[in-house]
Order: sequence, then structure tokens, then C-alpha cells
Amino acid sequence: MANYYDIDDILAGEELVPAVFLEAVNEVGLLSSNYTNRVEPRSKVELPLWLASELHERKAASITIPPCFNKKTREEIGADGAHVDLRSRCSYFYELGLKIVQLIGDKTIGSLLLVAFQTRYKEVLIKAHTSASALGPKFLSLLTKEETKLYDAATSSTAAFKTWRMGGSRMQQASVLGRKRKPIGE
Amino acid sequence: MRRRFPQFYAHVDKVFDEMPVWVVTVVKELKDYWNSKMYGRKASQLLKELVSGDSGQLTGFNNDLFKQVIEECDESVHHCQALLRKMQEEGTSNQTNKNPDHYGALVHHLSLVRNKRCLMAYVYNRAEVVQNLGWTFKAKLPDAIKMKLSSEEQKYFTNHYATLQSYMKDLDLDLAVDMLPPKDPYIKVRVLEEIGYVSLGDQVGNLTMHAILFLKRTVAEDYILQGKMEELTN
Repeated sequence: MANYYDIDDILAGEELVPAVFLEAVNEVGLLSSNYTNRVEPRSKVELPLWLASELHERKAASITIPPCFNKKTREEIGADGAHVDLRSRCSYFYELGLKIVQLIGDKTIGSLLLVAFQTRYKEVLIKAHTSASALGPKFLSLLTKEETKLYDAATSSTAAFKTWRMGGSRMQQASVLGRKRKPIGE
Repeated sequence: MRRRFPQFYAHVDKVFDEMPVWVVTVVKELKDYWNSKMYGRKASQLLKELVSGDSGQLTGFNNDLFKQVIEECDESVHHCQALLRKMQEEGTSNQTNKNPDHYGALVHHLSLVRNKRCLMAYVYNRAEVVQNLGWTFKAKLPDAIKMKLSSEEQKYFTNHYATLQSYMKDLDLDLAVDMLPPKDPYIKVRVLEEIGYVSLGDQVGNLTMHAILFLKRTVAEDYILQGKMEELTN
């Protein structure tokens, strides 16, 4: 169980997963498409994971595998994992995968996540350590939340190493204040 | 898709660019409306806003959305209680019988718990940043930051800062200096803002903009953290 206050864990729970209701549910206006406020059994809906997982455990609904783990994505990751646009498919790809595996016993997802992470991790580190920030945007838009954090960590450590080697100023303005303001007239 | 039909999308972009402002706002509001049509969606927007900035940065406290989420919570409670009452009247036990009302109440209960978690996380994570402010700034916050805090958070900052100060007083040690191991007691700095006459430990100095001077490290550290000076190296 992740930390109760962990924002990333909470936002990963917001990802939509396809689910099928097994029981009828009354008085849920937002879930039903018609005006009866009632969801009938066997109706298909997309639910956020936090709701779907609880209903799945109580046998009120059954989750199916989300589209970001479908055959097409698997093949693309198998071919060239580093250049698959995972963010547009699911920006919490790994977190969602981990949670889904616990709910539905699909053994293949685990290895898919591992392969995807291994190939992409290598690429992320190479890009972060070598390239100037000019190359960033296009590549960054492919990364999931987790990978973006890794990328930022890697670039900041490279920057820290450079300032250490060049003997740059060590004391910095507090990060809360935002980017460094250039004084007028310089 | 974009790559496959570049001309079509260029056209779409052009149409969007030429739309009057009010159409754009209406489209955006409609989109927001549809996006909010799911339990817990607003609360997650609140958190997304929090993480969208750079790490360690604060966004303004979103009172409006915060209130809307609380309203959603109230609605959930209302629905949940209505369903439970209905079940009691019909005499069905809520544990064993799997009736639609039971699951309806469950959905509302779950979304209530979910919304609570989102709100708690929002306040908690902001509070952590506010705590760190106590180490960076002396009792007076810059206005740019003060604006972003809710009145409760400002109170929290004042109290936290007072606690920190009394602890340091007990220790008889200023814990907020020398966050980096010092190499030299004096450093060369450039003044970035008009500061005026201030006490510099052993003397009083006039700090004008662009002045370059040697200062005691402990004195300069505060100003650097607040962005009023920068360290110069040669």
C-alpha cells in the first residue's frame, strides 16, 4: 500500500479502465448514460481505477485489460520500446500495470512492464546525460510520469556535476521563488 | 493521425486560431463540464494542478475548486444516506443481500473516501512546502508567495516558524545557516536588489543594487536564498 498522501499514487488511480457491471446499481447518475440513474448488469463502462478496483473486489464489476496493454502496444514495445509514445496512452503506465496485475491474474503484463522499463530507462539516461536541453521537448513528450522524474533527476545530477567540476556558485536562490529573475539593465 | 493527414490538421488548427474568443471559452467550458462528469474527477484536477508546476513550487490555493469538491462530498453523503434509509425501510440487510441499493450506496461511499483522500493530499502536500518556507525566509514572507497561501496556511506558517525559532533558541544555535558545508567564512556576492541599510553582523552596511562585496557567509546566505544576492566565484 502506497503512502496515503502520495499524489502520484492518487493520480494513477484516476486512469480509466474498461469494466463490465455484474450487478445492478441504483442512484448513480454520473455512471449511467440514460436518465434512469440506474446501471444495469452487463453494461460496459469506463471507470477510474480507484472505483473499478473496489467494485471488482466486491464482485460488483469486472475489469478487463486497459487498452494501453493491448496487442498493438506490446508489439511496438517489443520492436523498439524506447520510442513508443507511452504518455499519450497512459501517463501512469507502470503504476497502472502494477495495480492491474494484482486485480486480474495476467502474468504477461509483468514481463511487458519490465521489458518496457529496461529499454526505455537506458534511453532516458543516455539522453539526459548527454544531450543539451534543446533536444528535450520531442523526446520528453513520449515519457510517462515516472520516466520524466528519472529524466529530471538525471539532468539535475549532470548539472550538479558540472558546477562541481567548474567550481560554480554553490548557494542558490530558494526553489519556491521560481526561476531566477534577471535584474533589469543586464 | 496528425502525421498522416498534415493538411487536414493544418486546416483544423487554422480554424481554431481564427475562432472568436468566446467560442474558445465555451468549448473549454463544455470540455471542463464533460471532464467533471465522473465521481472524484474534480478532486483529481485539484491535485493535477498541484503537480503541474515545477517541484517545490507553489500554485495558488484553489479555493473555488476546493469548495466544489466539498460540495460533491456532501452530495455523496446525501445519496448514501438516502439509499441506506431506503434499505432499512425495505428491511433488507445490507451485508448479505446484493441488491442495487447496496451497490449504489457503495459507489457513493467509495467516492466520498476517494474525495477525502484527494483533499487531504492536497492540503498535506502544500503544508510540507509551507513548512520548508520556515527554513528559507525569516518571519516575513515575500508578497508573491504570501498571495498563493490560504489564510490557514499563512497561520500555519507563522506558527511553524515560531516553533522553529523557539527550538533554535533552546539550542542556542541557528540551524538554518550553513546548509552547505562552508569553505570560507567570507564570500563574494553581488547585490541584485536595492536592500538599503542593514546590519551585517559586526557592522552596518548600505546594500545598493549591483554592489559587489565581501560578506560573512552566514549573513549572505539568507539574502541568497531569498534571491536578493548571488554568489560570485572566480
